[in-house]
Amino acid sequence: MDDILTVKKLNKSFGKNKVLKDVSFNVQPGKIVGLVGPNGAGKTTIMKAILGLFDFQSGSILIDGKDVSITKHQALSEVGALIEYPGIYPFLTGMQHLELFADNAAESKKDIQNIIDELQIGSYINRKAKAYSLGMKQKLGIALALLNNPKFVILDEPMNGLDPKATKELRNLILSLAKKGTTFLISSHILSELEKLVDEIVVIDKGKIIKQTSMEALSDSNGNYLILKTSDDTQAREILTAEGIELEKSDKLKIKKTSDEQLTGLIQLMSNHNINIVDVQHEQNDLETSLLDLLDNDQVKE
Amino acid sequence: MVTLIRQELFKLIHKKSTLIGTIALLVLMTIFAVFSKMQPSFSDPKGEFIAAYGGTSWIVFFMIAACSTIIAMEFQYGTIKELLYRRYYRGEILASKWITMFIYSLYFYVLSFVFSVILKVVLFNSKFSFSDIYTNDQSVMHVTLVTYAGNFVGLWLLLSLVLLLANVFKSSAAAISVGIVGYFATSIVSSLMFMLINKWEWLKWNPLNMLNLPSQLSNSTVIGTLTRLSNTELVWGNLIYTGVFLFLGYLIFRRRNV
Ligand SMILES: Nc1ncnc2c1ncn2[C@@H]1O[C@H](COP(=O)(O)OP(=O)(O)O)[C@@H](O)[C@H]1O
Ligand SMILES: [Mg+2]
Repeated sequence: MDDILTVKKLNKSFGKNKVLKDVSFNVQPGKIVGLVGPNGAGKTTIMKAILGLFDFQSGSILIDGKDVSITKHQALSEVGALIEYPGIYPFLTGMQHLELFADNAAESKKDIQNIIDELQIGSYINRKAKAYSLGMKQKLGIALALLNNPKFVILDEPMNGLDPKATKELRNLILSLAKKGTTFLISSHILSELEKLVDEIVVIDKGKIIKQTSMEALSDSNGNYLILKTSDDTQAREILTAEGIELEKSDKLKIKKTSDEQLTGLIQLMSNHNINIVDVQHEQNDLETSLLDLLDNDQVKE
Repeated sequence: MVTLIRQELFKLIHKKSTLIGTIALLVLMTIFAVFSKMQPSFSDPKGEFIAAYGGTSWIVFFMIAACSTIIAMEFQYGTIKELLYRRYYRGEILASKWITMFIYSLYFYVLSFVFSVILKVVLFNSKFSFSDIYTNDQSVMHVTLVTYAGNFVGLWLLLSLVLLLANVFKSSAAAISVGIVGYFATSIVSSLMFMLINKWEWLKWNPLNMLNLPSQLSNSTVIGTLTRLSNTELVWGNLIYTGVFLFLGYLIFRRRNV
């Protein structure tokens, strides 16, 4: 299927400071894509560029096949977004915000009510927004991004300021909208916020895309280890090293899992040297660690 | 575009300052009228009616405040992103704000006119009638309408400058100050300016001189020799400068990173 978003070789500088370097990635329709990277990596800048809020030095951004830039906004008609922190008029109520930005009066009544119910903001929606807490403002910002049934929704660190319950509700809402065909691009500096949510992640560090991968591929490629417990760990370590088998840095015998047959080979090897394998454990790295590995590798490369 | 103007008006109507401005205008006009009723020896009932009991002067301040905040507010509240990422052109968004301010200024003018008529009928009905001759064979009502029109055109020259500066500085405070200083500057530096114009004729086209339009309209012969411009030239000068300032504001706004 054609991409809903294609970013190609995007370069952006603020003065001499190069903030985005040849950023390329794509988002397919119906997918939830996470944009993950440390603070200052350039996530917000990418999103602002996608929304035509920034000039950029070179590269191209296509939404639904149509060019987007600071002067070309037609493709954004079906995009909803929350960038950095929600923009809120303190003198309006939450409800007035929704009415203000709703496209079509007839349909929007129902639409607005749906969003209010799903985000559970009904209890304070008729109060002036200046009295809202951070989390309440954040939810209103998300509601505004989801208003008018956008095809493509861009959320910048949407879990900011939300309590665990609200985070879970938001996750469920995003998942249910994605099932109905809405595409999401969601940024975060915390991968665990996204891991139960996204289909794909795009990892960015210091303005460069390090990797675009599906969530399964990320957990498979990085995560699986075998941990052996033997009758004589010290000798076993020597034997394994002699055989050229790479051991992870650990006081246990930790070996990266490469195939299903690997274990049979290890048992064979040990028994050849009269060492008993007492216990075998499987360990899966969590995604956070996988991500940190990716970022570390990136630094080595530089 | 209509949607955008509707949205701007929605925000304006719900701002507290709109209600406060309206009430303040009516109260200030009432106070002025009541005082002049109590001090008949100092007052010129016809002239005060023409000046909307001070209303047209107060409107300048309210409009400067409104114009300097209408863009700066969006930056302050972080709502500028929500405004700008949508499908509209930036020019449309800016123009919707200008038009909203234009409607707002018309509202103030109509309000102060209607309320002046009410004050006149209630407090000064026996003093004069609208068809009395005021100056140059023109009736009070005629002079009133011409004065309003002149003030309105001059007001918009000032407001276009405020809108431009609010855009340059991103802050409403700077724009408010310059707007108010600009308003007083004409009277403060006018004698100096008239001297300079006397020396270098072309200086008569400077924007500060254009702000003399309202006084020249009410007092053509005297001021006319000082500004060295005819009424028509002044009106055109005002309109052209207003257009230039608004356009400069657009050029800045169009490419601005947010
Ligand atoms: N308006 C700006 N002017 C100058 N530098 C900026 C501006 N916005 C962002 N930056 C810089 O760009 C880099 C990326 O910022 P950002 O996109 O906000 O990162 P993230 O959202 O991933 O935390 C940072 O180093 C930041 O200092
Ligand atoms: Mg950010």
